[in-house]
Amino acid sequence: MSQIDIKDFVPEDEYMTSGHLACPGCGGALAMRMVLKAMGPRTIIGLPACCWTIVAGPWPQASLKVPLYHTAFETAAALASGIKAALDVRGDTETQVIAWAGDGGTLDIGIQALSGAAERNEDFLYCCYDNEAYMNTGIQRSSATPWGAWTTTTPEKFFENRPKKDLLAIMAAHRIPYAATASIAYPEDLIAKARKARSIRGTKLLHILCPCPPGWKAADEETIELARMAVQTRVFPLMEVEDGVRWRLSMEHRGDPVGPYIRKQGRFRHLSDYQVAQIQTDVNTRWESLMRRVEHGT
Amino acid sequence: MPEDRSRMDIVHGVPPVAITSTTTLANRTGSWKYIRPIYQDKVAPCNAGCPVGIDIEAYMNLLREGHLDAALDVLLRENPLPATTGRVCEHPCESVCNRKKFDEPVAIHAVERMLGDVALEAAPPAPPEQRRKEKVAVVGSGPAGLACAYHLARMGYAVRVYEADPEPGGMLRYAIPDYKLPKGILAREIERIRALGVEIRCSARVGKDVKWDEVAAHDAVFLAIGAHQALPLGLKDGGPGVLAGLEFLRQVNSAERPRLAKKTVVVVGADNTALDCARAAVRLGAASATLVCPVERGAVPAFHADVAEAEHEGVQLHFGTRPGAVHAPAGKPATLECSREDGSKLTLNADVLIAAAGEQPDFAPLPPDVKRADGAVRADDLGATSRTAVFAGGDLAGEPRTVAHALGAGKRAAVGIDRFLRQRAGEKVEADLAQLRYGGTGNVSATRWRGDDPVRRSGEVNEIVAFEQMNMAHFQHAPRHADRRRPAAERRSGFAEVNLGLPPPHAHAEALRCFNCGVCNQCEVCLVFCPDVAITRRAEGAAKFSISYKYCKGCGVCSFECPRGAMAMTREGL
Amino acid sequence: MKKVIMGNHAVSWGVKLARAEVIAAYPITPQTQVVEELSEMCADGRLEGRFIKVESEHSAMAACIGASATGVRAFTATSSQGLLLMHEVMHWAGGGRLPIVMADINRAVAPGWTIWTDQNDSLSQRDTGWIQFYCETNQEVLDTTIQSFKLAETVSLPVMLVLDAFFLSHTSEPVDIPEQAEVDAFLPKRQALMKLDPNDPHSFGSLTPPNIYMELRKRQQEAFDETHQVFEEIDADWGRRFGRRYGAIEAYQAEGAEVLLVTSGTVTSTARYVVDQRRARGERVGLLKVKMFRPFPTALLRAALAGVPRVAVLDRNISPGHGGIFAEEIRSALYDLELSRRPALDGYVVGLGGRDMTPAVIEECLDRSRKALQTGQTPEREDLWVGVKE
Repeated sequence: MSQIDIKDFVPEDEYMTSGHLACPGCGGALAMRMVLKAMGPRTIIGLPACCWTIVAGPWPQASLKVPLYHTAFETAAALASGIKAALDVRGDTETQVIAWAGDGGTLDIGIQALSGAAERNEDFLYCCYDNEAYMNTGIQRSSATPWGAWTTTTPEKFFENRPKKDLLAIMAAHRIPYAATASIAYPEDLIAKARKARSIRGTKLLHILCPCPPGWKAADEETIELARMAVQTRVFPLMEVEDGVRWRLSMEHRGDPVGPYIRKQGRFRHLSDYQVAQIQTDVNTRWESLMRRVEHGT
Repeated sequence: MPEDRSRMDIVHGVPPVAITSTTTLANRTGSWKYIRPIYQDKVAPCNAGCPVGIDIEAYMNLLREGHLDAALDVLLRENPLPATTGRVCEHPCESVCNRKKFDEPVAIHAVERMLGDVALEAAPPAPPEQRRKEKVAVVGSGPAGLACAYHLARMGYAVRVYEADPEPGGMLRYAIPDYKLPKGILAREIERIRALGVEIRCSARVGKDVKWDEVAAHDAVFLAIGAHQALPLGLKDGGPGVLAGLEFLRQVNSAERPRLAKKTVVVVGADNTALDCARAAVRLGAASATLVCPVERGAVPAFHADVAEAEHEGVQLHFGTRPGAVHAPAGKPATLECSREDGSKLTLNADVLIAAAGEQPDFAPLPPDVKRADGAVRADDLGATSRTAVFAGGDLAGEPRTVAHALGAGKRAAVGIDRFLRQRAGEKVEADLAQLRYGGTGNVSATRWRGDDPVRRSGEVNEIVAFEQMNMAHFQHAPRHADRRRPAAERRSGFAEVNLGLPPPHAHAEALRCFNCGVCNQCEVCLVFCPDVAITRRAEGAAKFSISYKYCKGCGVCSFECPRGAMAMTREGL
Repeated sequence: MKKVIMGNHAVSWGVKLARAEVIAAYPITPQTQVVEELSEMCADGRLEGRFIKVESEHSAMAACIGASATGVRAFTATSSQGLLLMHEVMHWAGGGRLPIVMADINRAVAPGWTIWTDQNDSLSQRDTGWIQFYCETNQEVLDTTIQSFKLAETVSLPVMLVLDAFFLSHTSEPVDIPEQAEVDAFLPKRQALMKLDPNDPHSFGSLTPPNIYMELRKRQQEAFDETHQVFEEIDADWGRRFGRRYGAIEAYQAEGAEVLLVTSGTVTSTARYVVDQRRARGERVGLLKVKMFRPFPTALLRAALAGVPRVAVLDRNISPGHGGIFAEEIRSALYDLELSRRPALDGYVVGLGGRDMTPAVIEECLDRSRKALQTGQTPEREDLWVGVKE
């Protein structure tokens, strides 16, 4: 068939309502919508401070049809551990727990709790929806902000000059049963991975790239296109790692030049062509090292 | 003991903790937008590029959905001879197919042929129940005449076709050889037209067998007598031994084919007629068949695919070779002197020398008040000539000389005649050509004229969807299926069909390669990618999806992602 | 059954008998025995629950919140630095109205590093919306632990019970341990009406605008108001079942006292001894033990202290920049008493960082107040430091 029949891969039921307060074109909103389709109604969400704190609805409104607990910024993984322990005690083996955190709440302030829970192999799904900065508080850099990006705390003259933290490698080092990257541009892949995670006991992690129009200074309507280009340029490859040692690529990555991807985003507009070329070199190098992981394991 | 006080009671207007009790549906986030998405079906380029004017995109989509009968219906609404066109049309639709910019165009001709062949086995469309009292005469049963008769019959008119030749079909019957279009196929397609109640009178040449007055007595007349007079052959000192191409082909297409065993045949010309003469010669046992073509290979007016076929079959091709002096006494071998661009010369001997120099219409049978210009009858966009109630089309009226154009002209004239007769009967009808033509520039649609489109559409605009409006990210590459061809060795022994088309599963696979440009086919990409869950399915009604503008924030993701450009963003209505 | 157990283990026994279902804890001296014992109890099945070995106290409280929010009985224990680290999420448990029970081993806070007792850690959490009980004996620790679950689940507030480091946590005393069936009769399984449940999905703790936040706080405050009555009922019930009552405050030899000592924690035991001695000598001195610090027992304290000429509050804590915290709060509670009935109050800061509060130390405070009573002198400062090197 010429067109991937998306109907076959995306379950129909919705667990999210309209009227939520996400920005137009929000990648994070779509990511939650898709993951919940895979997880179903017997799901409890632990939600630390992040954009979704707002998108979940101001009291007394809820935008999700599953139970949700708002928690302190750094505690997502710890909260989830507690919820799951309680479900165990109550004899509920069906309900799944999701910790749904942003990149800051995962890689910066939340990394201790995540590391602790992962090391204990707590049974829950940790989803890091990554818009590559502290977007909820107004676009400040996080350790997930890519090299070269403008944010309010890395202004153009002093743009972000550290590489993005490698969440998948960190999780692999914890030897959790399953970790994977995903992109909202490939819902069939994202949903399949969520379903796979659901079937595994232990700590699972999905690292989902979610473009943010205001934060990336990109057009609302190009959210999916950016999520797609990030994958096809190999800036954000789609991979899985099982038990920390078996790495797998999820699909063909064309290896399109990064230039067009970068230039669609205003947060990179200050970069010279030379700097864009540096990014390309970096992507290439990293890709080679990822391929070595795929071939040889960790 | 004190009771459990962890009640979900409301005190001071609140529960004990911030626990939600309703959904975010109370927020009309639709008020945020300054631009909104709409479903806007557009016209696929193939529809506009087809001289017949067929809703190709619609039948491809119906095939994809598995609705074979509905696909046939869509096709037969516009084209009475799909098994024919599927074989002989040069398919300009494929040249403009958007898929060409992605990998390879859809083999539309093969799908049409498959549908045409299926239609031959199926029951023909029945005559409409609503009859009109007017009677229409059609002069000529080539593709233009056949099409006009067909469409008028489907509109409820009584139609009588006057055909000069013993059999109907015109060029289809007498110029195109069997190896391209088997006579049986053509005959059965014409049966479909007869089944609508159309009367075809053969051996009824107007001006000889039939008086013009009889024709003119009808409520309207469509003139489609084609162009059958051979143009001067243009060979210096041509003798009686030079055979006109069309004349040769008539012999080839008759019950008694010429015998050319061991003869040397030379054909001069560059069009389909010339090629067919050469290829027929091969099959008639010629020792050799040579084509002298005055233009370069790339510039031949003949179908380029046919040039390759001719080569494959053993025809010797000389391009850029101009014929010079010819010596062709009657009944004796001829000699032809040719010269090339570089000054070199070529002398050819031929037992049979054929020249295909083109044809012109014979205006003799026509009344003088049917005016002409530039060697053709003058007819407007809907076939009306200078004489009231008389219409013309096809090769007679200066149409490009293809089967598809003729079919298209016949349809336009049918629409023109219908409008004329209705207006004469006092009905208020108008024909908005800009709306009737696919994309404004394509041929007229009979379905649009009748206003009974069976296809569900949303917010249709009559514009061709550009490749740039579509989103290729959702498509996967898939190679085009190549028609099966009879091996060359098998071809020379007879006139069996050369192009065997695609087996039905491959034809179906080609239909699946169609992007369905510009028209929503319910792929649900818009629904899946909406961050605000604002798009839902609709079971009934024109549009297949419903956008809740109460919540839609106007981000534009749906429209951007639509694979086939069937949406648009607009400020209207805000 | 009677057993000689250390204070920490009294907590463990209480938690076990209360059938806590999820325990999340991180080790810190001198709390470790609490969780070590619980860990063993979970491992050998004496306690059917899940023990999460979290990687920090902040996560311990967060995990307890997750568990409690899902409707089960949750417990943790910590001390000093660990409690301070939990501070953010303490508020979450309080405002979230989650009936979590926590044992805090009162340990002074760094810098400099210290493992010995004072009350700054627990008292610095007094605004987080937790009920606070200060325990004196090992028996009281066990009894209070079990009662805390009942109280917490009745009023939907978290409860912190506090033990002095080493003096109580590591001292062994004979403890009367109730039978499981007796405790089950007193404390049934938790039935949470508000919980995370896919059968009835809600979001908890969403963005709360100004027009509604105050009302949530008011309800929290009203739950604290209810707590006085509920605790008294629980305390009375426990008394009927097990023959032991404590009261939110306890007056000891207070009848007609001219100077009343006010203490909390283990120093109370020493103070009883001193008071007995002085009474034997005919001095009109007495003792008030404060067990419940939050909600602050204003009414009870007013009733007990009104008309007492002089009150000597012993604070094993200091709010830098002000004074001893019990003294501050008691002074404030007495403010609205009619002038003639309002005691003079001496706020003694003693025993910080684990400095021993011997009878001599208590007597010094007592005598200073007695002298001040005679001279009618008002205290020079709100905080009167005792035993500090010059």
